[in-house]
Formats: sequence, C-alpha cells, structure tokens
Amino acid sequence: MISRLIATVLACVILSGQAMADSHPQKPFRIYMALWRGWEDAAQGFKDYFISQRIPVEFIIRNADQDERKLKEFVEEAKQMKPDLVFTWGTSVSLGMLGSGLTPDPAQFITDIPAVFAVVSQPTKTGLVPDFSSSGRNITGTTYLVPMPTQISLIQSYRPLHKLGMIYNPQEKNSLLTIEEINALTGKMDFTLVAEPVDIIDNHPDAASIAAKVEDMRKAGVDFLYIPPDTFMNLNRDVLTTVCLEKGIPTFAAAENPVLTSKAMFGGVYRYYTVGQMTAYKAAQILQKNVNPKDISVDAPKRLSIILNMPVVRQLGLYPPMKVLQLAEIIDTSSGP
Amino acid sequence: MRDIRYKSLYFRLLVLAVLVLIPPVIVVSFLAVTNLEAGLEPELQIKARTVAEELSIPFNKALAGGIPIDKLVGVEDFLAPILKGNQEFLYLCLYDVAGKRLYSVGVVPASLDKDLVEAGKLTTGGSVTVDDDFDYSIPLHAKSVAEGTLHVGIEGDYIAGKIRAILLDVGVLTIVFFLIASEILLYVVSLNVSGPLQQIVRLLKRFAKGDFTEQAGVSGLDEVGRFTKRLNRTVRMVDDLYRKLVAYVEEIRLGHFDAQVIADVHAVEDRVKFLYRFSAKGAPNVSVHRHALDIRLALFLFTFAEELSRSFLPLYVQSLPNSMTWLSTEMTMAVPIASFMAMVALFSPWSGAIAQRLGSRTVFLMGLAPAVFGFFLSGIAQNSVHLLIGRVSCGLGYAMVTMACQVYISSTARDESRTQSLGVFVGAVLTASVCGAGLGGILAEWVGFRSVFLLSAVLVLVSGLLARRLIDQRKSARQVRDLPLKERLSLLRNWRFTVLVLFAAIPSKIAVTGVTFFLAPLYLWTIGYGYADIARVVMLYAVLVVILSPMVSKLADRTGWRLGLVVTGGLIGSAGLLAPAFGGGELPVVISMVCLGLGNGLAASPQLALIPDLCWIECRTIGQSAILGEVRRLERIGSTLGPILAALLVPTLGYGLAIAGLGAGLFLMSVIFLLASFRFGTGIHIATEEALE
Repeated sequence: MISRLIATVLACVILSGQAMADSHPQKPFRIYMALWRGWEDAAQGFKDYFISQRIPVEFIIRNADQDERKLKEFVEEAKQMKPDLVFTWGTSVSLGMLGSGLTPDPAQFITDIPAVFAVVSQPTKTGLVPDFSSSGRNITGTTYLVPMPTQISLIQSYRPLHKLGMIYNPQEKNSLLTIEEINALTGKMDFTLVAEPVDIIDNHPDAASIAAKVEDMRKAGVDFLYIPPDTFMNLNRDVLTTVCLEKGIPTFAAAENPVLTSKAMFGGVYRYYTVGQMTAYKAAQILQKNVNPKDISVDAPKRLSIILNMPVVRQLGLYPPMKVLQLAEIIDTSSGP
Repeated sequence: MRDIRYKSLYFRLLVLAVLVLIPPVIVVSFLAVTNLEAGLEPELQIKARTVAEELSIPFNKALAGGIPIDKLVGVEDFLAPILKGNQEFLYLCLYDVAGKRLYSVGVVPASLDKDLVEAGKLTTGGSVTVDDDFDYSIPLHAKSVAEGTLHVGIEGDYIAGKIRAILLDVGVLTIVFFLIASEILLYVVSLNVSGPLQQIVRLLKRFAKGDFTEQAGVSGLDEVGRFTKRLNRTVRMVDDLYRKLVAYVEEIRLGHFDAQVIADVHAVEDRVKFLYRFSAKGAPNVSVHRHALDIRLALFLFTFAEELSRSFLPLYVQSLPNSMTWLSTEMTMAVPIASFMAMVALFSPWSGAIAQRLGSRTVFLMGLAPAVFGFFLSGIAQNSVHLLIGRVSCGLGYAMVTMACQVYISSTARDESRTQSLGVFVGAVLTASVCGAGLGGILAEWVGFRSVFLLSAVLVLVSGLLARRLIDQRKSARQVRDLPLKERLSLLRNWRFTVLVLFAAIPSKIAVTGVTFFLAPLYLWTIGYGYADIARVVMLYAVLVVILSPMVSKLADRTGWRLGLVVTGGLIGSAGLLAPAFGGGELPVVISMVCLGLGNGLAASPQLALIPDLCWIECRTIGQSAILGEVRRLERIGSTLGPILAALLVPTLGYGLAIAGLGAGLFLMSVIFLLASFRFGTGIHIATEEALE
C-alpha cells in the first residue's frame, strides 16, 4: 500500500539567496504542508514564491494520498512539531485539519498554529470560513474557482449556448453546489442545464456508467459538457473526456486538470500554480509581517487563464473565435512546440 | 442720423485691423500645416506597421494551433473594435497566399485584390499604394511558410482631412474673432469718438440756429473730450455774456432817464431773445444723449454667452444620465431647448414692463442672476433635470436682459429711425449667434461641455459690468405699453396678420430651433461628426442670415418688394430641409442649413417690414412697435414647438428623415402662405397709410 505516511521530511529546503545567507543569517520559517494528491502545481507555486522572494523556509511535506483517515495523524504530528505555519491543500485536507465554524474543537483540529489553505472550491459553503472577507479565526487561504457567471459567459463566447450538459457525482457536496450556482444563471443568461448524476452502486459512484451518461447528453443535444470541480469526475476525467470526444461533444472544465492532462477541450480556470503563489504571498504576510490571518481576505487570483486543448479542438473541428484564442493559453501536446 | 458703420472711422479701423491680423494668421497656419503634413505621414505608416505586428500574434497563434487560415472563427468581431478605435484605418483584412480575401472589416478598395497580385506581396507582405490609400501587410504563418497576409489600410485622405479640419477651425476662429473685434471696436469708437462727435454735431447745429440752451454732457481726457470741454466753455461764455447783457438791460431799464433809450435797449433785448435761445435755469443744461450703440457690446456679450452652447446642447443632454425616464430620449433632449424658448416667450412682456418701470439698467442687472445661476447649474448638471432647471433659469435671464436692451434702444430712438435702432439689437444678436455657434463647438471639443457653460457664466458677468457702466439709469421717457388681450385679439382678427404669423413667422422659427439647434447636430453626431464639425455646419446658417439680412433689408426698402421676399424665403428654406430625404451623409444637411440660412435671411426683415403694410390701421391705433413686439412673441411659439415637433418625428423617421419630415410640413405651410398672399393685395385694405395722407 502506498497509503503510508511518507515518514520523513521529504524536503528540507533552505531557500535563500547567497547574499541573504551571508548578511542576514536568519532562522528559516518552518511550514507544515499537508497535501491530498501529492506534489503538484499549487504546491510548486507555493514553494517557488518563497524562492523568488528569497524568504528562507523549511518545508515538512505530507501526502494524505486521498485518505481522510491520515489527516488525524497529521494534526497530531503538526501539534507536536509546532511549525510556524500550516499549509493545507484542497477541501478535504483543510476541513479535516482545520475544522469548520468559528471555534473548532482544539483537541481534533489545529487551532493555535496559523494556517493557509489552497485549492478549496467552496470555502464558505463548506463552513471552512464564514465569509470571504475574514475567516474570523487563525486561518486564511485562496480559492481557485472562476466565478460562475464568468465561466458561463466564457462558454458563450466560444459558441452559442442553448443547452449545457453536466455529469456529476451526487455524493459530492461540491457538485450539488455547482448545479445550484448554474441553475441560478440559466434564466438570466438564456440557456438550460441538463445535469445527470452517475449511477451509485453499493454506495459508490460507478465509473462504468459514465459512457452511458455521455450518450444521454448527446441525445439531449447539449452544446457543451460542463466538467465540475468534482473529485470523482476529476479522477475519471480520461474516461469522461475520451467518450465526449468520440461523440463529438465539446467539453468545458472548471478546473485545469481535465484540459491539461486529459482531453477536455477548453477551460476557464485560475491555474493551480498561480493559486499556490498567491497562497504563499498570504503566508509570507503572516510569517514576515505578523499580519493576523483573519485580517487577510480569502480570495482567488485576479488573472483568469483560458486554456485550450488544441488537439481536441482540431479533432472536433470546432475552432475558437479569435477573441477567445487571443487570450487563451494553447495546450498542444501532439504537435510539439 | 446716418448709420456710422460704413465709410467711417470705425470702418477704416476695422479694415486696418483686418489687414494687420489676417496675414499673420495665414502665414502661421500655412507653416503649421506644412510641418504637420510632413510629420504625420511617416507616423501613420509606423502606426500601421505596429498594429499589423501586434495583430499578427493571435493569428499566428491560431495557425500554429493547426487552424486552417480559411477556418478562423470570429475574425470580423475581433478586428472590428480595432478598426473602430483607429479613425485613420480604412480597413483590416486577411488574404490567403492565393490572393483570396478571406475576412475583412471596413471598406476595402475594389482594386486591392488585383493590386496585391500585381505587386506580388501575397507571401511577403509590404506596402502598396491603392488609389490614394495605403495598404500595409505582413505575412501570417504557422511555422516558416506563409499561409496568408494581414492587411492594414490607411486612408490617404486622412491627413488631408485632418488638415482640412484644422484649417476650417482656423477659419472659424478667424471669423469669430474678427466679429468679436469688430464689436469691441464699434463699442470703443462709438463710446469715445463717434458718439461724442455726433453729440457735438447736434449741439453745433443748435448753435447755428442760435440755441445755446445745452452743453455737451460727455467728456473724457482724450482729444474729443478736450474739444468737448472747449466747446462747453464757449457755450458757457456765450451764456454768461447773454446773462450780463440781460442784467445790463435790466439796469438801464430801471435807472435810465431817457424813455427812448429804454425802449431801444428793450428792442435790442427782444431782438436777441428772438434770435437766440438760452436756458432759463441760469446756465446751459447738460444734455445726455443716449445712443443705441451704447448697449450693443453688453448685449452682444450676453447673447454670445447664450449662443455658445447652441450647437451642442442636445448632445450635452444626451451625455447626461436621464432622470426624466417618462419621456422618450429625443423628448428629453428637446425639452430643455423648448423650455428655454418658452421661458423667453412667457417672460418677455413682463420683463419689458418692468424695464420701463425700473429702468433698463436695473432689469439688465437683475436678469444676470438667473442667467449666471442657469449657466452654472447647466455646467455642473449631474442629470437631465438639473440641466432643464438651468435652461429654464437661463431663459428667464435672457428674457429680462434682452427686453431691458430693447427698451433702452427704443428709448434712444429720438433722432434715429426706429428700424435702424432695432437693427442694432438684431445685429448684435445675429453676430453673437455666428460667434457663439462657431466658437462653442470648438471650445466643447477642446475643454468639454461643462467648461463652456462656466465660460458663459463669466461672459454674462462681464456683460453686466459693461451694462452697469454704460446704460444711463434714467427711465425711459417713451412708454411702450404692453398690449391688452383685447387688442391682441383684434390684431389676430386681421387675417393678413394672422396668416403672416401662422404660415411665415412661426414656421421659420420651427425650422431654426427644430433643425438647426436640434436635429442637425444630433444627425451629424450619429454619422460621426465632432463638435467642431457640427458647429461649423450650424454656423453656416447663422453666417448666411447675418450676411443676407442687412442686404435684403435695404433691397426691400428700396424696391418695396416685401411679400415676395417672405414667400420666396419661406419656400427656399423649407424646400432645402427636404434634402435629407434624398440621401444620407453630410451633404444633404449642409444643403438644408444653407437653404434655411438663405430662406430666413431673405424673409426675416421683410416679415417685420410687412407689418405697416398689412396692419396700417392697427399701427395707428395700437402702435407699430407694440405690433412688432407681438409678432416676436407669437414667433416664439414656433421656437418652442420646433424641438418638440422634431422629437416627435425622430422615433418613427430617424434624425435624417425627421429633418425632411419637418421640412415637408413647413413647405406645405409656405405654399399656403404663397396662395394666401395672392389675396393680400385685394380688398379695401390695400389703401396704404401714405395714400391716405
């Protein structure tokens, strides 16, 4: 089993420029990083920020590997190690280690160490923070989802949108919130939503049902399939996007992975790397300038990234309008640079 | 008294001023334009290259992403804002290497396709001259092979157009400042030279008749003033000698023994008293002679301030947030103009009455308060209601100030003919309308609408300072009474008068406020004209009226051909408004403005001159000036209706056709007037005043 705690400090990086090391021998800040799916772009962006700003830090990196049970061990460990800051990746890790509400139980969660979270799609709706302007407690962080009206108008700028399709895991709260958000816009932005849950077998979502659901979407005549920031759909993104491509359905992803590492056609996202950098900026405010985390608002990066999966675009023959293309980042793995 | 404006000191000074001022303006303009022409062209080509390079980036990105050049999506949508943002660009387009034009925005010259093939620029890009225009292109490619070219077209006429606009601005400014200078010169000359001299001439004529009762009232430190003082000293000396003679005669009468001597002396005294006249007060009276020209500069400045906003007022309303949402957009723009006119119409009689009671100066100064407030409020208006209130307030001020001036002018008309003094009024207002329309548009372009209103407020204050110094405070001796309702109705019972007002006077005003001040600016704006361009077209109207009016006035007086001029003017003016029905763009509007200027220039003064012919009975019973006042009041109904009628037509016809629609209605009215005029000469009424006398 790989679901074993990566016991030792993976990286003990003292990231500082030479000059700084010479003139200001400074004790590096210690940051406990709890990850959900291993080292990826957000974590890299977080780390790179400290390098570029020449802030000496030492990371203690832990990977839960999508196992919620490990989070309790992380909490215990962090309490013993007493790092300067805790970094949590994703909704599950953040809720599991930092709790929800204004006064989480100090026995179960980390409360006395300042914490920053990243890649949490719905920090208010999940109860992690009560309000975007302030957490009201010892944490702050960065969301990563583009506001829904922006996402929809981006889709509409690609091609006229009458019917938006969506396949989701009904067991994930995230997906249900997304449906709610989209439905709030259908009237105003003049389209309809066709949302179908994947089948649930033995209380588990069934990946094998995805292909049939996509066929339903094709029959319903959707103009676009919306891929929600849903962990299950993200895990099964290859199945989902490949079937869509075969059936000629263009796909829009709310998070970057389906476009970057699979066959979704198009996405309007805040890049994880940028999210990580922005989280690091907030962490630096707390560490260096002693700003109270509750005084730092929870927000997303300002710069939207439009990503286009060019091989998929070519295969579908559905070319983007110049206005979208001009702003887009082109992902073109097959043809090479 | 003769009109001093021609063959006079004033006229010679004016010619001198023109000779000194105009050549430098021409030389400087020429130098500036030459430099501009030389500098602008390479700049434009650099800009074309920069834009082409910038634009090629996303296209190259698309081609690199494997999108075939003929399958690009949304190219027009992508290019259109760039074309719109750069006035000098004629078109933007893409060609494939075979020379097929795939996408384009703007107007691509028909011969470009052929020219590009001939020039062999379809893979390499470069520059090509097409007719007078200039095409710059760069190749587009996915890798190293060109797949097509991106073209930026620059209008060859753009630089010429820019320069034309600058020259036109210079021309307008020269005319405006020439007119302003001539007003100031007229003021200076009449205040310091010709006015006092006319008074001296008048006194000398009296002296020649043996009348030594008056001495001159004005005096200054200049040559004329010193001369006047000398003259007064002489008058006083003569007066003194006379008193001494009278005293001596009295002494002889009382004390002399010889009755014959007493009788002789008495005879001498009687003879002296018969031949010469002296003041009974023991010293010569100080005569103050009022002159209509005294008020002219103040009146000019005041109306100039008002006219500054004329050419852009509807556009200003358009730019403000509309808080009168219950009105249509067009009506919101029309209402401020109409309300101003309505205020002037409503308050003119009252202003005239109080000017006679309180004196012209007091009412002039009182009228400044609403005017300054109105301009200030218009300048800082945050929505259309603020502006409306501002305009209403300005209308009140305008009524008070202009009526104060009219009352003053009519009270001066002692020696001068009434028509000529009225000419001073009309002349000042017309000159102001030329200057205001032209300068207002240019200023609006330079400093914005709001600053123009604030400038108007300042100008109004300056006019107040002048009026305070100038106008003699004594109340007018001549009382022009306001017409009671009964007499007004009796006027309307004269069908010739009614027809003149309804089918000639009112229509011409409808045309002026409805088209010149409302539809024309808005239409020109919608076809992409700037404020200065609009102002120039509007100014055309005013210039023609200013030039034609005095000439026509003389012609009408000399030939007695008045009715014909009114009919012709009405027909020309309204027919010209039909031009926009036959095509869009600038030219029809220019034609409309020229015809309207011609028409009103021809008809305006003969309209008033017709009154004594048409209403000679009423002229005797009510008085000619009261009737003229009544015509002006009734005319303002037309001024008020003009923008409202225009605004009603716009939603169905659009701006261009609304001009024609209004023109059609007015043309019909002119035709009715023409038909009615055939009967003007029949019946007992034709017996004129002169014939009776």
